[in-house]
Amino acid sequence: MKFLRKLLFRLLFILPLVGLSLNAFAQSDPTGESPATRTYAITNATIVQAPGTVMEQATLIIKNGLISEVGKNLKVPEYAEEIDGTDMYVYPGFIDGMSYTGAKRPKAMERPNNLFTPDPPNDYAGITPQHKVVEQVQLDESSIEGLRKVGFTISHTVPYGRMLPGSGALLLLRDATHPDEMILSEDVSMYTQFVGAPGAYPGNTLGIMAKWRNLFKNAANSKNHAELHAKNPRGVERPHRDRVLEAFFPVVAKEQPVFYNSTNALEARRAMRLQNELNFELALGNLKQAWDLTDAIKQHNAKVFMSINLPKEPKNSKEEDKSDEVKTLEERRMEFYKQYLSQYASLKEQGIKFGVSTMGTSGSKVKTNMMTIIENGLSEDDALAALTTDAAELLGISEIAGTLESGKLGNAIVTTGPYFDKDSQVKMVFVDGDKYEYEVKDKSKKKATADTGESNTEGDAILLGSWSYSFTTPEGEQTGKMIFKRENGELTGVMTSDDGTPDVDMSNISFLNNELSFDFTVDAGGQSIEIVVTGTVNGKEYEADASVAAFNFNFPITATKDDDER
Amino acid sequence: MNLFKKITGLFFFVFVLVTASIQAQTKKGDVLIKNGTVITITDGTLENTDVLVKNGKIDRIGKNLKAPRGAEEVNATGMFVMPGIIDAHSHIAGTSINEGTSQVTAEVSMEDVVNPIDVSIYRALAGGVTSIHLMHGSANVIGGQNETLKLRWGTTDPDDLRFEGAPRTIKFALGENPTRGARRRGIQPQSRMGVEAMLRNTFNDALKYKKAWEDYRANRSSNKVAPEYSLRMETMVDILEGEILVHCHSYRADEIYMLMKVFSDFGIERLTFQHANEAYKVAPELAEFGASASVFSDWWAYKLEVYYSTAYNAAILTKNGVTTSINSDSGELIRHLFHEAAKTQKYGDLSDNEALALITLNPAKQLGIDNRVGSLEKGKDGDIAIFDKHPLSIYAIPQMTFVDGVKYFDINTDKADQRIYIDPESSISDVQIFHAENQHRCMEGADIVNLYDLLNSNEE
Repeated sequence: MKFLRKLLFRLLFILPLVGLSLNAFAQSDPTGESPATRTYAITNATIVQAPGTVMEQATLIIKNGLISEVGKNLKVPEYAEEIDGTDMYVYPGFIDGMSYTGAKRPKAMERPNNLFTPDPPNDYAGITPQHKVVEQVQLDESSIEGLRKVGFTISHTVPYGRMLPGSGALLLLRDATHPDEMILSEDVSMYTQFVGAPGAYPGNTLGIMAKWRNLFKNAANSKNHAELHAKNPRGVERPHRDRVLEAFFPVVAKEQPVFYNSTNALEARRAMRLQNELNFELALGNLKQAWDLTDAIKQHNAKVFMSINLPKEPKNSKEEDKSDEVKTLEERRMEFYKQYLSQYASLKEQGIKFGVSTMGTSGSKVKTNMMTIIENGLSEDDALAALTTDAAELLGISEIAGTLESGKLGNAIVTTGPYFDKDSQVKMVFVDGDKYEYEVKDKSKKKATADTGESNTEGDAILLGSWSYSFTTPEGEQTGKMIFKRENGELTGVMTSDDGTPDVDMSNISFLNNELSFDFTVDAGGQSIEIVVTGTVNGKEYEADASVAAFNFNFPITATKDDDER
Repeated sequence: MNLFKKITGLFFFVFVLVTASIQAQTKKGDVLIKNGTVITITDGTLENTDVLVKNGKIDRIGKNLKAPRGAEEVNATGMFVMPGIIDAHSHIAGTSINEGTSQVTAEVSMEDVVNPIDVSIYRALAGGVTSIHLMHGSANVIGGQNETLKLRWGTTDPDDLRFEGAPRTIKFALGENPTRGARRRGIQPQSRMGVEAMLRNTFNDALKYKKAWEDYRANRSSNKVAPEYSLRMETMVDILEGEILVHCHSYRADEIYMLMKVFSDFGIERLTFQHANEAYKVAPELAEFGASASVFSDWWAYKLEVYYSTAYNAAILTKNGVTTSINSDSGELIRHLFHEAAKTQKYGDLSDNEALALITLNPAKQLGIDNRVGSLEKGKDGDIAIFDKHPLSIYAIPQMTFVDGVKYFDINTDKADQRIYIDPESSISDVQIFHAENQHRCMEGADIVNLYDLLNSNEE
């Protein structure tokens, strides 16, 4: 991993030079499996209309994309597909407050020749607020299905990029033949983050904060100028078009909120500092450290979308003769782990409503993470509210989403038991009035196989074991092993390196339908950099795309399964 | 009328509430330090004397003072009580140091990147330091604005560390650092001549900018259109108007002299040279200009332009009437700035008071905060360090450190683990090692590698 570390170390200062991500072009579904009806009646179910509002043995009718009726003893309409909801639970469809769901990270712009680093082109600087996320949406993005099958129906999707990637849109997580069909509403946010341009201005937080102020103030002036000119052009200097500044106009007018990707408390405070100076509507998204921010959040009237990408539980050393120092350090680390988990409950206690952001989390982790949050003090109703009513309110879509009430969008989840029960499974998800069905697995059977010590997930065997990977940096080929194991039911993995660099543990490993993704961290000159790898396993071959979000930079990585030594 | 009054009254009330809540008050303490040897810096050294701090300010210095109800009493018998140490050049407590991508970045400010949870803050407190000048790096000719901080350890709000009321300051840099970065990027300036040209050009641009906005403001037309706003130029104008103190990274006498000429031409008066290893060569000129110097005690020869220096630098400057301080520029050195000050007694025979002024009153003057800190005087802030022996003794160990009368360090109740936030995914062994690479951050993020270097480098 030396080469990689070296490369990343340089990328701290320079451009992405290598690597294109494979760009699969979206195709419409050619199977022609259109439903016979768009009228559904789920009968005799336990219907959770909204957090805390539950109807037993009730019926939900979805018609023409909307919820038409909810209640007891309802007449099933003609031509409706009747779904027997006995023992089933029905929930409002979940809403994701901020994520990249459906978007594909575009190829990073190559560093122009003779780049004038103090004033690079806006595209290279990452200042593209005029872009719209729909330009990046790919219909076959696995994140759409990945989140839908755990219950998400609406996603506030924001574009990939650097400082100001573009505007976010509310997407319906439905099958479509064109991304436009997924749009519930566009330009609902200006998305921004603390990501600098490699080796050009603004390079880091210092430049980003200053650039933000500069853009905002010039946008305010430019807006006045444009309005003056529009009123009576005669005798007024002609305004020059500047789409970057124009993208700020609704923000200046407080008609569009700024969504700041603020992963830690310091970033959140910086976002609030800008808001305080410039006066705009602020939402803090992907927030991971909120426990010291409650007063500040209230003061700045900021909307909050908490990350549900939880830290891994620390593993204390099992050595028996560990020193008191180590014990104390381990206790404090555990205390902070608990702090991360319990902050959701305390935010709610402090009267702060929040939605969730699935950024950095895969669909498969949503439920377990929400359950961990519930175990650490958040009530089930409040957890559900964060996924439904509170999210809808914060995004300004309570009129059409968040609850199961007549007239709202036909977004609903049907589960085999209470959603936050360990064994319950999602059986159906309705998005925009259309039904998506999922296979319900017999959990008791699964347990039996697990007990025999065999792999408990079908297809797991393909993955477990050793793989030889390689990727190319400008300095040469980088090779090593990826070793996957299943320990206590959880997938673990480690990356070794043939150049003697110490092994690195993978995290967030997900292997489903031959889609393998994981991330790992490389230390580049004292700065730790996260690399996310996603790709497909085909027999013994793995083809993947590794992306370095810190630099908005991708490179291809391939691996071949080693022959079984046993 | 009555109603109108009521309404405005209500507005006023709301306004007061809002401002009060935004500018949250930092903690102020009461403490009586009894019977110590009080080194005031400005009024001699007083034996068996008490210092009373009330509500964060020094209320009285004298004998047999009584503590107000509830105030902590510290028995300093046999100990030395001095003003908290001030480090005029530091890069601790910042999440970024250089916006090195451009050779003029006057618009950026370290106040945006203050990191209140950097454990280096506590280490500095344990060395008797109460204030630091968190500086932008030296990668550019006109770097970012700096931030003067009080080391109020324990908060997670960067604004709590702000030295409220301290004047704004900005970093400039001459010589190899800015030219090296620029050469690598293929931009100006690539030589010392280019540095001067860039300074003059930028100030001239600022004058033009100022004129454009003055014209705009004076224009009575309803059809007037605002000129382009530039935070960079706004800052440059503020420098020209004397609202921002300049702290300039420099080594050689010729470039030090050059900057004084440039500043004379543009009428800028408040100037401190940082490092200034050859400042002793132009000490009378510095004194005449009224410029200050903030230097290392005995460190040089770490690159070509710093080969020529002397450990007598601080003493020569002091004897020539230049306001001089000794700084750390390091998360390690900051813990024993009193040792650094003491070296001027070996190299230059400075008096105790002169030596200690190098790390207290003089840096306070350079930062424009000497009305608040830097000496123990009635009415000044209760920023105090207590040592078991005379602070210029090599055997001295800091015992307690107070900021605004609040105790932030006490050697007797010193917790081993001072971290404010802990990453649950961090490894325990990492915590136990002191990371030496975090010490010198002056050029962090400044070096860039170009395509040629990347493809042709074989170094490891």
